[in-house]
Amino acid sequence: MPSAVAGYAPNLDKYLKSLKGQPLELSIENLVSLLKRRQIKGAEPCAVATAHIILQVVARSKWQNVDGLLDNVSRVGRKLVTAAPTELVIGNIVRRVLGLIRDEAAEDRNEPQSEDPSDGHATPTDAVPNSTVAKQDSAGGYLNNSPGPQSRPGLIVSQSSVNIPKSLFHLLSASPPADSDHAPGSPFAGSGTSTPQHHKNSSSQVHALRSEVIDGIEEIKDEISQVDDQIAALADVQIHSGDYLLVHRPSPTVERFILRAAVKRKFTVLIVTEPPRKHLAEVQHASFRKKLSAAKITVVNILNGGLMAYMARVDKVILGAKAIVANGGVISDAGAAAIARAAKESGNAVIVLGGIYKLSPETPFGEDEVIEWADPSSYVDFADGQLVGSVDIRTAATEMVPADLIDTYVTNLGTHTRDHLSTLIADHYKPEDIDFHLWDDARR
Amino acid sequence: MATEANTSAPAEPPQAPHAPETQTAQTTTEKSQKETQPTDQKAKGEQPAKGGEPAGEKKLSGAELKKKAKEEKAARRAQAKAAQTSQGQPSGGQEGAGDGGKGGKGKPKQDGQAGGQHKGHHAKPAAAAPVVPKEVKPAVPECFGHLSMARRINITQADKDVDPAVLVLGQHMSTFALSDSITRLEATLYAFKKVIDSYTTPIGTTFSRHFTSHVLNPQIDYLTACRPMCFSMGNAIRWLKLQISKIDIDLPDLEAKKLLCESIDNFIHERVTLADFVIANTAAELIEDDQVVLTYAHHHLVQRALLQAQEQGKQFSVVLIDDAFERVGVEHSKALAAAGIPVTYVSDLGALRSNLRDVSVVLVAAEAMFSNGAMYARSGTCDIAMAAKDLGIQVVALCETINFTERVSIDSLTYNEIDPERLSDVGFRLLFDTTRDRYISTIITELGNASPTAVPAILRKLEEL
Repeated sequence: MPSAVAGYAPNLDKYLKSLKGQPLELSIENLVSLLKRRQIKGAEPCAVATAHIILQVVARSKWQNVDGLLDNVSRVGRKLVTAAPTELVIGNIVRRVLGLIRDEAAEDRNEPQSEDPSDGHATPTDAVPNSTVAKQDSAGGYLNNSPGPQSRPGLIVSQSSVNIPKSLFHLLSASPPADSDHAPGSPFAGSGTSTPQHHKNSSSQVHALRSEVIDGIEEIKDEISQVDDQIAALADVQIHSGDYLLVHRPSPTVERFILRAAVKRKFTVLIVTEPPRKHLAEVQHASFRKKLSAAKITVVNILNGGLMAYMARVDKVILGAKAIVANGGVISDAGAAAIARAAKESGNAVIVLGGIYKLSPETPFGEDEVIEWADPSSYVDFADGQLVGSVDIRTAATEMVPADLIDTYVTNLGTHTRDHLSTLIADHYKPEDIDFHLWDDARR
Repeated sequence: MATEANTSAPAEPPQAPHAPETQTAQTTTEKSQKETQPTDQKAKGEQPAKGGEPAGEKKLSGAELKKKAKEEKAARRAQAKAAQTSQGQPSGGQEGAGDGGKGGKGKPKQDGQAGGQHKGHHAKPAAAAPVVPKEVKPAVPECFGHLSMARRINITQADKDVDPAVLVLGQHMSTFALSDSITRLEATLYAFKKVIDSYTTPIGTTFSRHFTSHVLNPQIDYLTACRPMCFSMGNAIRWLKLQISKIDIDLPDLEAKKLLCESIDNFIHERVTLADFVIANTAAELIEDDQVVLTYAHHHLVQRALLQAQEQGKQFSVVLIDDAFERVGVEHSKALAAAGIPVTYVSDLGALRSNLRDVSVVLVAAEAMFSNGAMYARSGTCDIAMAAKDLGIQVVALCETINFTERVSIDSLTYNEIDPERLSDVGFRLLFDTTRDRYISTIITELGNASPTAVPAILRKLEEL
């Protein structure tokens, strides 16, 4: 592989093209090394790459049942997460897919379960549909006594955590048999014996599950690609004429957001740029500036690290998120925390933009944990022996903006406050998947 | 600009209220006449040339020189008047006001001012019609239009009364070869000493009455034009003018000059040399064993304090956060490392909270202190101070009392300066920011340690001294 690297710089596009021809394991290993080498980096590319590879895993890996599929997906997911631990989106996508599989599996299970008995024992339940719920309930309970555990194996992965959400799920689902299914199912006595039974109709089920999960992943991919547009649609609400906006190293999402507002509104944009690297003098964000200028928006590149000086003038600070953690903290480019702090000091709104796929159910223990340290040689010359020899040099690439400095989160689902994030997390991830990256491979 | 207005106030009541508008009018007219002058010479290239030209002038006796200058001024004024009338409306209203203040001694000052100030960015639109061929400065964004900026001025454009020593100083200041407030102050006072030295009182007037308005003010105006005066310079010049005005009318020139030079020397000694010594000492004593000291970019006072603490045998380490757009901290960290202090160099304000985690004290130097306890310092200082205070870390500011000003600033855009080196059509940079008093734990001055709220008290005390 190093020889291939020498010829061209691999990137996301090339990687995605390579997916088709390669064996699955090789694709996974390729992605792991690309992530490790930061040749695929940034939230969106990582999310897209993860979605693609997980789709390959679902489509091409060998699995007999839901259990096996969950195992395969989480195993690959763990590899990717370890390869790029600071890219929280990778974990998010894997969790989304795991949740998807669980949902599909639960649906599959419910359908055949309610049908199987009705097929076998015929009409009683079918003929007397909902009129006598109590009766059906008891009947279903007996009938489902054996199929109940039968469906379990797929979820054995973490038994204790499975039970809670399952009961919750079943509470909400309208199907009575499933409801009763839970009570006798909780003692796991029959799980071992029932597994073989499962295999009987597994091939068709596997096939159905596979295609449904693949459809689900395609939806996630679509979602990722539409995020910027959907967020931009909310720009008019946030940006008003005459505003002074401060953006920190605008990401494509932020650029789109501002450009959309520029269609209707006239405002001023201050762009905080990255510190100049050695020998590089080109104008940063030139294309963005050009588009804004075309829309008759005043743009100024700010060449300051500390932004407190400008805060008296600025109205809103717009930050692009690399990830949003569960407590509301935002992982962003280095320097964002200082800017958010300065904005807070002057009472300016701090608006964070990021697709819902960046919202992670994890909360890092400390801010230091998510800081990605960058290569200081871009700022300090290696030839400078005195400096290299005796001085410890640090440069951060990303950092966490504490939650209390942020006013609003704008995602593709709308505008949210910090308190609302937990609801969104509950909507998108299953509690049993949250710690998937910590599972031990052996614990299966 | 404001600084300059203030400093001239006590010495020259009639000049005091000259509003920016007045200057603008002057500026406009001056500009139109300046167009004719060859201006392609670069400031750099001219520096050596300066040695020859003014030296030649110097051979003339003082009286001759004066006369020549007067003639030139008169000619220039006539020209300016003509330009003004021909230009019509934009300056029409202001002209009267300008003339009103012009009586006698006011005049040369304004001339000098116009010569230097014709860059004032607000003047630009007015003179837009006959576009100036001189180096076109990128426009300052409208919202920062009120801020001033250093500017390279061709030596040929400088007022003829400007002393060669001051000319050089102005060039140094505009190119930021002398950048921090204390160095500029020291250099200015030394240059003024030379001006005083080479001065001879014309017949029919006295030193104290003639020198300030006819000789000193043009120098000040030129320096202000090169780079807006810092607060310490304002304070020192006000002091100097007071000293001049106190000189006995009957005192012979030679003795008056000697007296003045001596008091300037004393002033520098007391307010700069000794002050720095005391502050560095106090700050060094503040550092204890096993502490981690965080500092920002470079300031000679901080460096001196750290090196001194190291000499005293204290075992501490330094985290140096650099200004990402002006890497002055690289040399600083090398100097500290060379002295044997363990240094961690952080290239920018990224991961600030993480870098602050193990820090025991933040040591920064102020460019000036406002009377509301706010600190005027290199842009970025405020962000560090806020983060430090959030984490409960002490923030210690080092500042000589000569940098204290009775002015008040509550945000960073009231007083600030635009970085001329990095101003382009796309880029923009402010040099300073203002840190509110609540983010500063202690100010170390040569008069002792004080809380930021004690700044007005110190200012009062200084008045009594």
